[in-house]
Amino acid sequence: MMSPDHDLRADMPSRRRFLSLMSASLALAGLSSCRKPVERILPYVKGVEELVPGIPVPYATTMPMGLDPTGLLVSTFDGRPTKIEGLPGHPASLGASDIYMQAAILNLYDPDRSRTVLHAGKTSDWAAFTAGWKEQLPRLQERRGEGLAVLAEASSSPTLHRLQREMTGRFPLMKWVNYDSVSDENILTAARIACGVDARPLALLDHAEVILALDGDIFYSESGHLRHARGFATGRRLETSEAGMNRLYVVEPGMTITGGAADHRLRLEASRIAPWAHSLAAELGDLGLSSFAGFTSSATLDEANQRWLKAAARDLMAHRGRCLLIAGRRQPVELHLLLFALNLELGNLGRTLHFVPMEHALPSSLAGLKGLTEQMAAGRISHLAIFGGNPVYTAPADVDIAGALAKADFSLHLSDRVDETSARTAWHLPQSHFLEEWGDAASVEGQLSPLQPMIAPLFGGRSVIEMAGFLATGEERSGYELVRESWRRLLPVAGFESRWRALLHSGLHDGLAPVPVAPDPGAIMAHLRNTPLLQPGESLPEICFQPSALLDGRWANNAWLQELPDPVTKIAWDNPARISPALARKHGLANGDLVDIKAGDREITLPVWIMPGQADESITLELGYGRTRAGRVGDGVGFDVGSLRLSGGMGFYSGVSLRSAGGRHVIACAQEFDGMVERPLVRETGLKEFQGDPHFARHDSEIAAKNLWKEHTYDAGFQWGMVIDLTACIGCNACTIACQSENNIPVVGKEQVAMGREMHWIRLDRYFKGGEENPEMVYQPVACQHCENAPCEQVCPVAATVHDHEGLNVMAYNRCVGTRYCSNNCPYKARRFNFFDYTGRMDELKKMAQNPDVTVRMRGVMEKCTYCLQRLNLAKNRARLEGRPLVDGEVMTACQQACPTGAISFGNLLDDSSRVAIARAWARSYALLGELNVRPRTHYAAKIRNRNPELS
Amino acid sequence: MAQLFKRWTNKIPIAVVAGVLLLGAGAIGFFAFFGSPRYTDVGYRPMQPLPFSHALHAGDLAMDCRYCHHAIESAAHANLPPTQTCMNCHTLILPQSSRLMPVHESWGTLRPIAWTRVHLLPDYAYFNHSAHLAAGIGCFSCHGNIAGMTVVTQSQPLSMGWCLGCHRHPEPNLRPAAEITSMTWQPDADHARFAAELAGRKKLNPPQDCSGCHR
Repeated sequence: MMSPDHDLRADMPSRRRFLSLMSASLALAGLSSCRKPVERILPYVKGVEELVPGIPVPYATTMPMGLDPTGLLVSTFDGRPTKIEGLPGHPASLGASDIYMQAAILNLYDPDRSRTVLHAGKTSDWAAFTAGWKEQLPRLQERRGEGLAVLAEASSSPTLHRLQREMTGRFPLMKWVNYDSVSDENILTAARIACGVDARPLALLDHAEVILALDGDIFYSESGHLRHARGFATGRRLETSEAGMNRLYVVEPGMTITGGAADHRLRLEASRIAPWAHSLAAELGDLGLSSFAGFTSSATLDEANQRWLKAAARDLMAHRGRCLLIAGRRQPVELHLLLFALNLELGNLGRTLHFVPMEHALPSSLAGLKGLTEQMAAGRISHLAIFGGNPVYTAPADVDIAGALAKADFSLHLSDRVDETSARTAWHLPQSHFLEEWGDAASVEGQLSPLQPMIAPLFGGRSVIEMAGFLATGEERSGYELVRESWRRLLPVAGFESRWRALLHSGLHDGLAPVPVAPDPGAIMAHLRNTPLLQPGESLPEICFQPSALLDGRWANNAWLQELPDPVTKIAWDNPARISPALARKHGLANGDLVDIKAGDREITLPVWIMPGQADESITLELGYGRTRAGRVGDGVGFDVGSLRLSGGMGFYSGVSLRSAGGRHVIACAQEFDGMVERPLVRETGLKEFQGDPHFARHDSEIAAKNLWKEHTYDAGFQWGMVIDLTACIGCNACTIACQSENNIPVVGKEQVAMGREMHWIRLDRYFKGGEENPEMVYQPVACQHCENAPCEQVCPVAATVHDHEGLNVMAYNRCVGTRYCSNNCPYKARRFNFFDYTGRMDELKKMAQNPDVTVRMRGVMEKCTYCLQRLNLAKNRARLEGRPLVDGEVMTACQQACPTGAISFGNLLDDSSRVAIARAWARSYALLGELNVRPRTHYAAKIRNRNPELS
Repeated sequence: MAQLFKRWTNKIPIAVVAGVLLLGAGAIGFFAFFGSPRYTDVGYRPMQPLPFSHALHAGDLAMDCRYCHHAIESAAHANLPPTQTCMNCHTLILPQSSRLMPVHESWGTLRPIAWTRVHLLPDYAYFNHSAHLAAGIGCFSCHGNIAGMTVVTQSQPLSMGWCLGCHRHPEPNLRPAAEITSMTWQPDADHARFAAELAGRKKLNPPQDCSGCHR
């Protein structure tokens, strides 16, 4: 079924062959292993200026994720990029990172990337393509571009924007369409109506005391999620019990991490959310918002829902100018407009909400894609260039681009792999990875930043910018020239060269931030009055589409993202339909049962997963799975739900039917229990209760046990410790994958995950509290706790795991004989065992992504979190060489650096002024399973929810 | 009935036990000596792609180690010089020498010279040159008298026990910063006091934990 990059069955030789191979290799290995391995050293021929072998050099660049680019700081080892972090000064990343930023390095070294130009499926080369295009150019120029079309992904690049202008200027009759299947189109359309110009809303959560999010996973998948998460956590630092705290209300159909972080969560089908917002507007009108006086709604709410709505409305009214209403991208334009109007009326404009003009954006347009496909189907497009993306896989099911592609005389697809779309175009051209190319991008906040290559294109790929430049003119110009040409207009003429160098150094354009535009309340209200009231879906159930860890499928061949358990379901390598417990009962379904979901005459079969907190009549379908031409990792993993996705219902639609299909599908779930089974693992309380009893979290973990052996003192030097603030942790998975990238953690594949053999050093435990219909969700990242009385150390027969003088529980991999006693004796289950030689079987290219500062572990060896020992040692040595003490905050663990909410503090516990020592002294900090007297070095700060007294 | 076993046969069990013990001790001794890095690694002198002589460059010409291995004070790795460094001199000195052919070839074809590593630590041991130099450990302590070697030879076992020996008692190997690359420096009679003073001033505390070198 699935084939991860180390499919053990696929390359397993037969038993007989295995034995014969073994006997032969044993005889040889027995002799040859006595000899010292011969290693070669290949120094440079010409030294590279400022490069010291073995010392990583960080470079700033940008990750161009459509309209939501983030600044990056990429470590390159001897010219080889190995680790990606967020760029601290960039407003969209703020030094933190998400799962895609961390995983992007693996895509660079993906062995399934295309390596050559293909023409009609046969190997060709760039020269043949360029000659072919130059032949077409005069014809196209004569026709002024008639019949020529470009289909690209949404982009915020000033250079691509300029080239698009130039190309459409040269070919006035051509079509240029941008399309992404997961896009902010509804939000941007609403903003254009509100502001009269192209603009986008910018939510500043750090200034909001009350936040209402409607069907938007604003911390995980919506644009600006890193900034949202940071802003949200800033509003709930809770260093003392007197500190204030923001409050988050979430209304959503399926459980998301944003819903888990909410202080109050209301589950509601996606198609009922807009009418619900009308009821809210009406309620706010009743409470005194003049524009909404007499506002009506079509929604009928039950009593609990009504109470919830009234409480939220009163809370919003009490925080005028300090609240924020925000909705997700899949909700309709009218809902966004309504929320804009409410925000304006509540006085939030300029405080918690800005509208930033979009100057360089090429936003996605579904109507554009439909129009283009119709023209193609009618045979009016003779030349089609597709830049990136994979429209054959991502286009709505009722837009038959695959069929229409056959009608073009000359079609090309610039793509990093020969995917579903490339297979149907005449030419396939290898695309460079963003770490291999020049470019630029404008973030949600309007921050301009450059892309600079970390490495020359591994497979001779070219960038979208280079292709756009070439197609327009027939001249092959490098991305460097094209980008510099754009920046000659963006940077002052005087001192261009030095400013250009400063730009590449900092990765940030220090020009003025764009002046926010002011929306026109009149225009919004006029539009709202002229559109019919949004009606709740007539016939339920509904289906909702949401991007998965693979987004819209573009990350399908990334083994890290495939194996990353979904933060809510904890499922890896699959995308079952998420259904509510009520719906499961109604149809008699259990986890993994196959169902048919039918919408009109379209039908798909996939397994179900019963999701606590799911709205009763809502079915969540995850995008991005079931790829057929993603590569060796992604092909055939999960189920393609795209055939139900229609241009009229890209986000959700109701009126589907569900019935059991019989049969089951094996699903690998990394956490098979949902509750804490009466143990106080995640300690949680309300703000009021916390203020009354600040030390509530410590009551049952304070013990005065005596040890049987002589105690270590740990009173000198560095004594490392960590505190994880559960109030700030939102469960976004960034730490898990940052750790995987930093520490060379292997991928094991679906069968192994199903057996509980995943290797992640940080596991994100997710617990539900309350009934399965409408529970609250909490997260707890658990890695090795570095116990001072480590139970693992007592049982190791070969002393492979021991303590060092800085309080670290260390693993000597070479001593480990693999008894796994330590894992048995670990109360946290934080140790991972290499059941197979996962790394040795890895493709040579993928090994390039490994961190040379961390040992690669062999089969039969235990491993676990080291507190990023390599970073500690390097930082200590650097401070030593510079003859100064190590300062607090100078060394960060990989998880800490990635965390968007700053939930993790790490440092020296003996330094009273260090962040970690301060956090550990918080009243709400506690030791997980502290009653066992293992004295963990990692502590947790209890979770506090700011409940509305009206609702508790 | 006559004795089936002669009297001397009583000694057989003792002889067997003694023999086994002797053989065992011999085998252990054999492997302890011939299997130890002191035997297997010390004296390792692989042939290099060109007959570069440290005895000539570092010895007779008295070039400092850091002219070529410039990163030793800042990086974990002791870098090998790029071909360019050789060419700094050899564009003028002996430009026609046949012994220098590989260098000229590398410079002309831009292909690196493939040296064979002599001092090879396992991949799971993370040795850091800069840390040791900063602490006052000279090149000589681990590499021996490089300035006297025509072909570089491993002079110390570089085993974990050998490393730990110095980590436990670094004093004999400490030297002044000015003499760090010297191959001829000899500790004076007052060395113990000097070492104690240096160790105190630099707060030397060589790690003996696993985490000092393995990660």
